[in-house]
Amino acid sequence: MPAKKGGLKRIFIVVFFLEVIILIISGGLNRQLQIGFEEGRFFIRNVIHEYNLQEKITEEFQPDRYLQEKGEKAEIYGSEKLYTLFSKIFSVNNAVSAFHLLRILFIVNLAMLGLAWLIRRQIFKRPSKPQVLIEMLYTFFEDFVRDTLGKKNLRFTPYIVTLFLFIWTCNMIGLIPIPGMMEPTRNLNVPLGLGFMAVTLVHITAIKHKGLINWFKGFAEPLAFLAPLNIVGELSKAISISFRLFGNILGGAIIMLVVSSLVKFVMLPIGLNLFFGLFVGTIQAFVFTMLALTYIGVEIAE
Amino acid sequence: MEYIARAAALLGAGICMGIGALGPGVGEGFVAGKACEGIARSPENASLITRTMLVGQAVSESTGIYSLVVALLLIFST
Repeated sequence: MPAKKGGLKRIFIVVFFLEVIILIISGGLNRQLQIGFEEGRFFIRNVIHEYNLQEKITEEFQPDRYLQEKGEKAEIYGSEKLYTLFSKIFSVNNAVSAFHLLRILFIVNLAMLGLAWLIRRQIFKRPSKPQVLIEMLYTFFEDFVRDTLGKKNLRFTPYIVTLFLFIWTCNMIGLIPIPGMMEPTRNLNVPLGLGFMAVTLVHITAIKHKGLINWFKGFAEPLAFLAPLNIVGELSKAISISFRLFGNILGGAIIMLVVSSLVKFVMLPIGLNLFFGLFVGTIQAFVFTMLALTYIGVEIAE
Repeated sequence: MEYIARAAALLGAGICMGIGALGPGVGEGFVAGKACEGIARSPENASLITRTMLVGQAVSESTGIYSLVVALLLIFST
């Protein structure tokens, strides 16, 4: 079929020339063409577009501070009652960002529950395509768990797969081009919670495996007065894996915004999204799960 | 006085990022070179070596990421 050959290339060329034509019509990079209705009249305007990068970054990453600096009346979706409720639960300085975070986390949870329901509903002996995909993912991680923890401890596989799927879905949410669809892992609270969860699981496993007294003795490993150092070391495990995820995602988001604004959002953001969204997101989700698995493996091996 | 503090914070962020990116750069390059050697020696293990290399690079990148977090804190919280 000749139409399908090189179809993607043709689409890219068409989109590129469309963007160039739009740029030429808007008369330079600092101007913006506005088309729309106002007071019942149709208009086409050519206005000077003021793009303030500092303001945009503040709006994107610190919405509460942006609202306070602008002096606008803070409200969530036009509802003041919701805002007062959120500013009572969280502090006034965190209300809007906490609402955004909870909203996106709700969407992620809904997506994962929907996926689970869809897969669960149609399990057959001749598996369908999504079932094969999920089974491939599961066996991939099951092999890792078998290599690291041994055949006896295969019960950790569901936790590992869930961790990977959750972090991966969180990182992929940023690819959806709707304003407000930010990665939940951009907020430090989410990776820190996941990290402390992993370390808690590690210690529960250690207590089950070695017994309570031996676990206490493990803190005074070489010498008794080094116990504070060991405790700080355990805490730093959680902090190191969570800050790695958080820094990668947040840094990627800021670099995407800054570089995209330098090229006036023409074409380049697609490539940036491919690298910082898809590639780094997948790698970091994988690294997080692998490190959690390794921490569990260290406690079991002794 | 506020301007001096702001300028010092921005300068600190630049220096932090510049020095903090040295270590991960050297480390990741070292890992990639070793992986090239490994693939040249046994091309049939190329996919396994590439996967291990990517995970190792992502782990050795973390010191650079910590300096990025410190730089962001310096820029946005002062």
